[in-house]
Amino acid sequence: MSGGSPASLLVRIAVLAVVLVFFQIGVVSEVPVLGVSVDLSPLLVAFVGLMCGSTLGAVTGFAVGLLVDLALVQTLGVTSLIFTVIGYWSGRLRELRDPQAALTPLIVGATASAASLVGYSLMQFLLGVDAPVSLELVRQIVLGVLVNTVVALPTWAVVRRALEGALPEDPRRRRRRAYTTGGLSPLSRA
Amino acid sequence: MHDKTVRRRRAVLVLLVVLSLILLTAYFGEASGGRLHSVQRGFLTVLSPIQDGANKALKPVRDLFGWIGDTVHAKSERNQLVKQVDKLRREVIANQSEKHAYHELLTLYHLDNRLSVKDYHPVTATVVAKSPNIWYSTVTIDKGESAGVRVNDPVINDEGLVGKVTQAASDGAQVSLITDSSVGISARIGSSSATGIVQPKVGEPSDLLLQYLPANTQANRGEYVVTSGTVSSPDDSLYPPGIPIGQVTSVNEESAYRSVNVHPLADLHNLDVVQVLSAAQGSLPTSLGRLAASLPPGQRLSAGGQSGEALAASGSGG
Repeated sequence: MSGGSPASLLVRIAVLAVVLVFFQIGVVSEVPVLGVSVDLSPLLVAFVGLMCGSTLGAVTGFAVGLLVDLALVQTLGVTSLIFTVIGYWSGRLRELRDPQAALTPLIVGATASAASLVGYSLMQFLLGVDAPVSLELVRQIVLGVLVNTVVALPTWAVVRRALEGALPEDPRRRRRRAYTTGGLSPLSRA
Repeated sequence: MHDKTVRRRRAVLVLLVVLSLILLTAYFGEASGGRLHSVQRGFLTVLSPIQDGANKALKPVRDLFGWIGDTVHAKSERNQLVKQVDKLRREVIANQSEKHAYHELLTLYHLDNRLSVKDYHPVTATVVAKSPNIWYSTVTIDKGESAGVRVNDPVINDEGLVGKVTQAASDGAQVSLITDSSVGISARIGSSSATGIVQPKVGEPSDLLLQYLPANTQANRGEYVVTSGTVSSPDDSLYPPGIPIGQVTSVNEESAYRSVNVHPLADLHNLDVVQVLSAAQGSLPTSLGRLAASLPPGQRLSAGGQSGEALAASGSGG
């Protein structure tokens, strides 16, 4: 990773967000799986946060949420609020723990999807939408998390491939890489 | 430096959350013609052509996903339909069986009226087993002594005479068919009064031979052979008169007695529902039995050990 400019990263995130949101609205939403639709938006926000940090994650979450609300003619601010929290949380996860396990995107994707679905339902209830908390709602949420988890890894691969070249150098990762594989390793010196 | 980064990060978060809440509150609070709604409509106006283009461009992708979904759905639907077809097929088979049984019972009912076998207390029974050999000389029915079925009771079906009961258990009985070599039936041709004995034809167990007819008996091909109402031997049953047995196929004149070949009317290979004519009030065997019982003690045959049917058998002499 050579490290790119912040402007390049922002452009890539913006393009990725627009493309994925349109793909979500135009294609994915119209293909029901197990009676529910895959929602790529929270996955995108969470993965941007996981790669770029909390600030960019939160900003991306707000922007994507606003785009979704505008495009789907929903109450402005609801999705933005939820996605802001998701982007910030996944960014903080990276900043505090920097998880490297292969299953991290899967877990982050599942958690982000669950937070999105539960948070959206809570917001609707708070806004006074008259709907009963039924088993059907719980089933929809569980199935939604399940199908989103299934597509989490491919989505992670797409997001990583799109942003990898534009990410700034991370000093912590550079140190870890140098110690394990680079010329500073005691093994390589021996 | 670190504090500054933390402060900036938190400030961004708070700013975005507050902005979201302001948007939410303002949007939720304003009328549908408000500013935010107008912005949303404007965005939608701008976005619609792009969305439309993207929709058209992504249609193949959507169709592909739809095709996959449809295929999966079609498979599950096919499995469901296969199960439904199986269920309906079973129902059709059951209905056909019931229809067949109904027609047989209806025919038996008409036969009851036509032949006046009601007096013989017909017991309707189902054939539950058939002799496994190619001769089909015996069948087992599901009615026995508990239903009034006794040994030597005649058995008929909707087509004519089938045979007689040779073994009777509590809830089942064995019927020897008219093609069995042990069965002999006193019979006559059509309206002729000359009687003979119907027995299986040697070498052709599916055909019958009406023999011991007087030499001057007139017999024509296609004439019906019916029971004469007498017995052929002292151990035989008394078949009610007029039950159709078969049709004359040819006449043999090579001996002193005339004999005719008879083809059974009853399809003995496909028996399903039959009727056992258990001796009843008003029938000849019962009448003779009552007559024997009414005789003074000194005149009763073997202390009343003989049945009316035996009396009838000894009285008619075959």
